[in-house]
Amino acid sequence: MDYERYRRPPVNRWTPAMIRRAAIAGALVLVGLVGLFTSYYTVAPEEEAVVLRFGRYSKTTSPGLHFKLPFGVDRAIKVPVTEVRKEEFGFRTVEAGVRSSFSRSDSEAIMLTGDLNIAEVEWVVQYQIKDAKDFVFHVLDQEQTIRDLSESVMRTIVGDYTVTEVLTRKRDEIAVKARDDLQRRLDEYRMGVRIVTLKLQNANPPVSVRDSFNDVNAAQQERNQLVNEAEREYNKVIELAEGQAKRQISQAEGYAVERTNEAKGDVARFNELLDIYKRSSEVTRRRLYLETLEEVLPKVQRVMVVDSDGVLQHLPLAGGAR
Amino acid sequence: MKFDKRALGVIAALLAITLFSSTYVVNEWEQVVITQFGEPKGEPKREAGLYFRLPFVQDVNRFDRRVLIWDGKKNEITTADKRFIWVDTTARWRIADPLKFLQTVRTEIGAQGRLDGILDSATRDVISAHDLIEVVRLSNRVLSIEPDADDVGQLDDRARDKIANGREKLVGQIKDQASVLAPQYGIELIDVRIKRINYVEQVRRAVYKRMISERQRIAERYRSIGEGKKAEIEGRRERDEKRITSEAYRKAQEIVAKADAEAAQIFADSYGADPEFYSFYRTLEAYKKIVGANHTLVVSPDSPLYRYLSSESR
Repeated sequence: MDYERYRRPPVNRWTPAMIRRAAIAGALVLVGLVGLFTSYYTVAPEEEAVVLRFGRYSKTTSPGLHFKLPFGVDRAIKVPVTEVRKEEFGFRTVEAGVRSSFSRSDSEAIMLTGDLNIAEVEWVVQYQIKDAKDFVFHVLDQEQTIRDLSESVMRTIVGDYTVTEVLTRKRDEIAVKARDDLQRRLDEYRMGVRIVTLKLQNANPPVSVRDSFNDVNAAQQERNQLVNEAEREYNKVIELAEGQAKRQISQAEGYAVERTNEAKGDVARFNELLDIYKRSSEVTRRRLYLETLEEVLPKVQRVMVVDSDGVLQHLPLAGGAR
Repeated sequence: MKFDKRALGVIAALLAITLFSSTYVVNEWEQVVITQFGEPKGEPKREAGLYFRLPFVQDVNRFDRRVLIWDGKKNEITTADKRFIWVDTTARWRIADPLKFLQTVRTEIGAQGRLDGILDSATRDVISAHDLIEVVRLSNRVLSIEPDADDVGQLDDRARDKIANGREKLVGQIKDQASVLAPQYGIELIDVRIKRINYVEQVRRAVYKRMISERQRIAERYRSIGEGKKAEIEGRRERDEKRITSEAYRKAQEIVAKADAEAAQIFADSYGADPEFYSFYRTLEAYKKIVGANHTLVVSPDSPLYRYLSSESR
């Protein structure tokens, strides 16, 4: 046909020998490239790499660019050692900042307390890989292991406390014990993991008994209020009574000082008079009498004289007397 | 020449394949059993590294050397004291004897099946032989019930009992019992843990009821404690108030009496020197005080006052 000539290349430059050479060269280049690309690896800043040579552990390397034997002789397993991982129990964080509780029927949060009651405990475990080699070599499913252990440890410890203790005063103590226990058991497995924190997020009575727990709190408040009010009333009354008592005593003391001072004053005056009187009795007597009249009579409206027969008679007074 | 080159290439390729398939790598987390036509050959390889085998006739059977998980289904078990509970256990195990493992259960899935049987029955045996409190409690730690209402007596009767074993020991028993059977499968049990225990649904409702009545008792207790404390404080208040008031009265009276006595003594000491002058002097002083404005003074003609007055007015 007519188009046959278009299919035929204008010049045939490729001889079979050339194709063979090209194939060998290509294969060599390919092998070289694979060798090149498998002879280095980079470790990110948050990672460490565990290096295996023929499957056997050879070293742990820190962040940066590293070389290794190519073609899978050396293998580098990267482990994020600085990353802090988080496991939540009894609830799940749905999105950052928004916390949604697990549905109550799920038994993750529900546990038996030492007084055979039921509490709902939600907690968080944060952990970090402390030994990359141990982490990779010793436990298959590290995350599930931490979850199972954490649940078991928390329930074991809560089983030794009453529901009231779990909900209130012993929360911190329980968290500390759970953390220590969890760490000890992870070390037994040689997990190479360090528990950073274990925190009780929430400890609640089950929903259907929550009202009665709240009522206990209310009763406690009421008791405190009653006691406080009574104490306040006590303080008020007693302080007033004490003040009044002090006033009464001070008044008595004032009276006492006044009484003795006046007595002393009176006596001093009398003694002076007595002195004079002893020297000239009659004159002093008259003088004193008259002085008294002088003082008394001006105040008097009138003076009546009653004689021996009982007849009253007005006595007119001279001078300033009215 | 062309033929020779081609033959050389084929031989080199065959050699490379043979060499490649006669080596194998055991990773740190693995152990390997070599089988020849299904027949185990030599000791299992537990150390990581590069190994050789006969190519094409020997197979490499890899097994995990790490700690593996067994997760049980939850079982309904009745405790010795007839409490109906769900128990959810989990265990950690490893393949301790890969040869035996290969011969008996072959795969991890097979092993899980065997472990289900072993651990479920061990768990059931141990827990149904003990009271619930033995499964729940860990130690004989003294339980504190309510901070200030400690004689409320709201504990479940059985919760008062001392435990003889506690959860850790029971779990140990489960592990011991299961560990008798596990080695025949080349399995080593490392740890058995009770993950969850819960009352079955009907029991849980009963427990809730009990919890509510406990709380009501505690609340009532708090309220009556409050009333009692209040009455106590009020009583104390009345007593203290009376004591303070009466003491003050007594002290004041004593002070007054003492002052009066002192004054009397002072007067007596001084006035005793001349009683006659004193009575005269005191009479005059009394007049000053007695006689006030608008008074009418009535005197007898024999009184000294009349004498003076008449002599004065005359």
